[in-house]
Amino acid sequence: MNALAGPDYDTTNAGFSIVASPRHADVITVTGPMTLAMRGAAAATIAAAARPCVVVAVGDCATGEGPWSGAPLAGSGAGVELAAAVTVRGCPPTPAAIAAGLAEAARRLGESA
Amino acid sequence: MRPPVATRVGAAALPAAVAVALREHDPLAAYATATDVHYLFAGADGLLDIGAARDDVIPALAGTHPAFAWDEREMRDAHGVRFANAPDDRPLFIGAAGEPPALTAEGEGVTVVVVGPVHAGIIEPGRFTISTGGETVIHLDAQLSYSRRGVEAFLAGRNAVAAAPRVARICAACSVARSWSYARALESLAGVACDGASEYGRIVAAELERIYNHLFDLAQAAAGAGYGYGQTHGLGLKERAHALCAAAFGHRLLFDAIVPGGVAVGALRDARATREGTARLRADAAAYAATLLGNISVQRRFEGAGVLLAETARAFGVVGPGRRASGGTFDVRAALPYGAYAELVPAVTSESAGDVAARVRVKAAELEAAFDLVDRALAALDAAAPPPPQRVEPAAGAAVRVTEGPRGAETLALGVDATGALERITVRSASFRNWPAVVRSMEGNIVPDFPLVNKSFNLCYACADG
Repeated sequence: MNALAGPDYDTTNAGFSIVASPRHADVITVTGPMTLAMRGAAAATIAAAARPCVVVAVGDCATGEGPWSGAPLAGSGAGVELAAAVTVRGCPPTPAAIAAGLAEAARRLGESA
Repeated sequence: MRPPVATRVGAAALPAAVAVALREHDPLAAYATATDVHYLFAGADGLLDIGAARDDVIPALAGTHPAFAWDEREMRDAHGVRFANAPDDRPLFIGAAGEPPALTAEGEGVTVVVVGPVHAGIIEPGRFTISTGGETVIHLDAQLSYSRRGVEAFLAGRNAVAAAPRVARICAACSVARSWSYARALESLAGVACDGASEYGRIVAAELERIYNHLFDLAQAAAGAGYGYGQTHGLGLKERAHALCAAAFGHRLLFDAIVPGGVAVGALRDARATREGTARLRADAAAYAATLLGNISVQRRFEGAGVLLAETARAFGVVGPGRRASGGTFDVRAALPYGAYAELVPAVTSESAGDVAARVRVKAAELEAAFDLVDRALAALDAAAPPPPQRVEPAAGAAVRVTEGPRGAETLALGVDATGALERITVRSASFRNWPAVVRSMEGNIVPDFPLVNKSFNLCYACADG
């Protein structure tokens, strides 16, 4: 995700900016399994986002297919529990694959507008 | 690295034994097994392990030795060890009852600001509760464990060799160091010695990991100081490092680059290209570091920010570049050499100021030293690719191994049973060691400097959470 802000993938050129609050977000990316400790904060973050909002699951852990799926405190993938509309596979996905996932999220936002 | 010198004492004698050990050793970890507690130290003469039976109540050491504060809370919460006179009754981990309360300052004019666990940036989750008087931080409370998956319990019972890919994925940013500790532990139980070419290959992987992490840390420190060029340029260099990692070991983040018995199949097939690529990156990274260190306004932001005093660093058992920027010299690679580090001795840098500027200078020097090690290891390989990994069949037993990762000592303690399955594994990461000291280094700083100070350590959350 951090690489997207660097000069190689510079997703600001494609119209994406990372915002400081879910209130300003059209797209929310989630990574990792949904830990018990994060469940409340994750749900509150999604609830606080502007509508329409597209959730993107980034990585195998988020899609529920990572190495910690089923661990005692890990539950399922964050993207599974938060009903992600777009999934990006990989452990971790390449920056190019994440950028493609963001583009897909933007396309879906356009459809729902 | 020799196996630890093990001493067993009665629970009542533990405080005196630990106090003696700390005169000439640094604390590395304390951890619990089904029957014992262990306090592990590193010194010039190797590792020292002081064990005591855990059926007694253990006198808590955290009150006098804060280095063990998190370890003892972990032993109590995750393993049910009973401590007497523990200085902090709060759970370390978020449980069914929700987040533990934060420690805050109280008094007239004190304002408490809470940020997290979801942050205004791309970082892992944590809750930071900042007690302030005006803009000045009086106390910072860090609540981690939001990414706690229960990895140790999940790994227990699995075939130890087959579990290696999961161990590599406990945390991305220190994956190689942890895999190396794990491989060495299993190889010692199996009586297998890693071959020479693979030992050089392991150094290439470990130092490439240090290179991409330190480049990231420099970029993040620049970001914390509002120096956009420094951030962007650093991220560009880091991306080149990831491309080199992918070409050399088949993975951008070097997952499974080191496996039990050797290195990844097919690793360093084109060692010459890796050597040429790292040489080009080295020149550009050196120019980048010089730009960062030579920018007066950036240095003014770095200087005096987030001072970690040498005595605080020592008392908290801080490891890695964070310690070496506060007067320390301990580096596992130099002090307790493993693999080919006995031959390819790394240069160890030490600074005394303990501020953001010192941590950035230490990392810039370590970056250059890491490039040097990659070059020497690849020269020693002389274009010969490492062989496929040897077969490793660990016999029943216990092992402790420590590897110098980008953030310091990465400790693994594990036990294997007669079927080759993991009985237990304890992950004590450099980040777990260092987090309590990061919190202390913020005291007296201004609130807006928290990102700068935090990123000058740039610790992980996932391996600290477990």
